[in-house]
Amino acid sequence: MNRTAREFQYGLFLIPAFLFYVLFCVYPFATMFYYSLTDYSIVKQTGLHFVGFRNFSEIAHYDLLLAGIKNSLIYAVLMTVFQTALGILLAVALDKKLKTRNVLRSVFFLPAVFSPLVIGFLWNYLLSTSDAGLINRALTSVGLDKINFLGDSDLALYAVVFTQLWQWTGWAMVIFLANLQSISKDYYEAAAIDGATSSQQFWRITLPLLQPSVSVVSVTAMIGGLKVFDIVMSLTGGGPGNATQTIMTAYIKTSFDEGFYSFGAAYGVVFFGAVLVLTMLLMQLLKKWGGSNR
Amino acid sequence: MAYWNKETTVQSLLDLIKQKLPNIEIEYQFIENAQYDNIIGTQLAAGSGPDIISVGPPAATQYNKLGYLADLSNLADRFSDAGTSVYSVDGKLVALPGISWFEGIYYNKEIFAKYGLKPPKTFEEELKLHEDLKKNGVKPQAMGAKSFEPMMKSSMGLIMNEFLSQPANKDFDAKYGKGETTLEGNWNAGLEKWSELIKRGYLTNDMLGIDYDQALDEFATGKAAMWESGPWALEAIKQKNPNIQLDMFPFYGSAGGPGWLIGGPGVGFAANAHSKNADAVMQVLDLIATPEGQKAFWENNQGGSSYLKGVSFDMPAEFDGVKETFQAGNVYAPWNNWGGSASSIIEDYGKALQELLGGKSDVSTVLKTTDKTTARLLQLNK
Repeated sequence: MNRTAREFQYGLFLIPAFLFYVLFCVYPFATMFYYSLTDYSIVKQTGLHFVGFRNFSEIAHYDLLLAGIKNSLIYAVLMTVFQTALGILLAVALDKKLKTRNVLRSVFFLPAVFSPLVIGFLWNYLLSTSDAGLINRALTSVGLDKINFLGDSDLALYAVVFTQLWQWTGWAMVIFLANLQSISKDYYEAAAIDGATSSQQFWRITLPLLQPSVSVVSVTAMIGGLKVFDIVMSLTGGGPGNATQTIMTAYIKTSFDEGFYSFGAAYGVVFFGAVLVLTMLLMQLLKKWGGSNR
Repeated sequence: MAYWNKETTVQSLLDLIKQKLPNIEIEYQFIENAQYDNIIGTQLAAGSGPDIISVGPPAATQYNKLGYLADLSNLADRFSDAGTSVYSVDGKLVALPGISWFEGIYYNKEIFAKYGLKPPKTFEEELKLHEDLKKNGVKPQAMGAKSFEPMMKSSMGLIMNEFLSQPANKDFDAKYGKGETTLEGNWNAGLEKWSELIKRGYLTNDMLGIDYDQALDEFATGKAAMWESGPWALEAIKQKNPNIQLDMFPFYGSAGGPGWLIGGPGVGFAANAHSKNADAVMQVLDLIATPEGQKAFWENNQGGSSYLKGVSFDMPAEFDGVKETFQAGNVYAPWNNWGGSASSIIEDYGKALQELLGGKSDVSTVLKTTDKTTARLLQLNK
C-alpha cells in the first residue's frame, strides 16, 4: 500500500478524536472570545448585544479579580521555585545508595496520588483552630500559642502553598530522579579525579544537566499554580475575606455564582493571555540557561 | 411541577392534591439545587418550563422581570405581609410563600443552669451572658466563621431590631435592592453595636479557622454554651449528643420585645405565565393556600411555620424560647427584598465581616464594600 493511502487511513482513525476535541475544547474556547464582547448573562441568554470592551475595563475596577490575580501570581511563583528547589534536593538525596531508598521514594511520592479535594478536607482538620485541629493541639501541649493557619488572612495563602508543596514535591522528585539517572557517571569520576568537592560537582555538573527536567517541572508548576482551584475551594473557599481568592476561584464566582457569563468570559480571555505571556517568558529564560550550558 | 428537593419532601402535599383534585395529574420533577436555576432559567427563556415553578425570592424577582410568572394577587390576602412582601414585585404577588426557615441562637440549658444563667431579653443582657460564661471558663459561643454565613446573619439579627423594624425604615430593603439607598450611613450604628461581640473578645479571630461542622461539634459536645443555627441542625446535634438539653432565643436589640429571627419563606410556588394549563395550575395553588394544603406541606418540613393567616403548627420543644417571636410574625431576611443578585451581595458582606473579625477592617469599610458590590451588580444587571 502506498504512503498516501496509509496516511489517509491514519487520518480516518483520527477523525473521532479530532471531532471530540473541536467540539468540546476548540469551540468553547473560541466562543469565549465572542461572549467576552457581549452582555451575555443569566438574565440575558438570547438577543445579545455587542458591548465592545466594557467587560474588560470593568475588570480593572473589580477588587475580587485583582486580588485573585495577585494571589495567583504569589502562589504560582512560590510553588514553582520551591517545588523545583526541594524536588532537586530530594532527588539528589534519594539517588544516593541508601538501603531505604525505594521506601522513601514511595513515601514522598504518595501524597500526589490523592485528589486535591481529599487533601483539602484532610488539612482542613489538621490546620483547624478547633479541638479537632491536631497541629494546634500539639502546639498547645508544649505550651505554645495556637496558630490560626486558615483563619489569619496573612497566613492562609501560605498554608495552602504548604499543603500543595507537601502533595506535589514528590512528583517533581520523580521527574528529577529520572533525569539524574541519565547523567553519565563519567562526569563525576572525572571531576573527583580533578579534586572537585561534592558541592562543586552539584553546581557544575548535576544542575546544568538537569535543565530538561527543570524545564518540565517549572513550566508545569507555573501553569498549574496559575490554574489552582480545587485545593483552594476545599481548604478555604477563597477566604478569610478574599485572602485566598485565586484567578480561577474568582472566575467561577463571577461566572456561575453571580451569573455574569460575559464578564467571566472577558476574565478568561485575560487569563489566557497572562498564562501565555508568563509561560513564554519562562521558557525563554530556560532556553537561555540551557544554551549557556553548552 | 419542578422543585430542588426530592419528592419525599412534598409527598403529603402531592397526596392531598391527588385526593382533592382527582382530575389534575401532577408530574413532579426533581432538579438538583446547584443546577436548578440554570436549567429552569434556560427552559423559561426558550418559552417552555414547568407549569408550577418552585422559586426563591431572588429568582422570583428575576423571572418576573423577564415576564415568566403569572399574577397570583387574588390569593395574596390569605397570607401575612411578611410572607407576601418577599414574593411580591410592585404590589403584584408572583409566588405563594412556603414553609419558613429560620435561624436563632441555640443554648445549652444544662450549662446555663449550672451557672444560674437565664436566656437574655435584650442585646445588653446577651453581652453580659457572654461575660459571665467567659468568667466561668466556658466558651460562650461557637461560631464557624470560616463560612461567610453566621456573622452575616448574626449582625443582621441585631440590625433588624435596631433599624429595619422601625416603621420609618419599612421600605429600606426594597429601596436598597433598587439602588436608591446605601448601607453606609444607615446600618453603621447597628453594626457598631454588633461589633461589641468582637471588641469584647466573645467572637475571636481563631473562629475564622473553624467551619460549620466543627462549630456544631463544639456546641453538641458542650464545649460551647451557645451556637447560632436553625432547625436543620437539630437532628445532627441530637445524634452527636442524645442527652443534650437545648432551647433557642432570638436576636435582640437594645429595647426588649419578642426579638427577631433571621429567616423567611422557604420555597415559593409560582405559576408559569405561558402555561397551557393555567386553570389547573390556579386550582392547585388555591389548594396549597389553604390550612389543609399548608399542613400537608409542613408534615414533611417540620420546624418551619406557615405564612397563611391563622395557621400555626406545633414546634418541637427545643424552640419554646422563640414561640413569642413566631407569634409576632418576626421572621425575616433583609436580603430577600434585595433583588435578583442578593445571594452574591450577602456573600461579599459576610466576607467583609470576616475581615472585620480578623482586625483588618472597620464597620464603615464593611458597609462601603457591600454597597460597592450592590452597585456593580445592579449596573451590570441593566
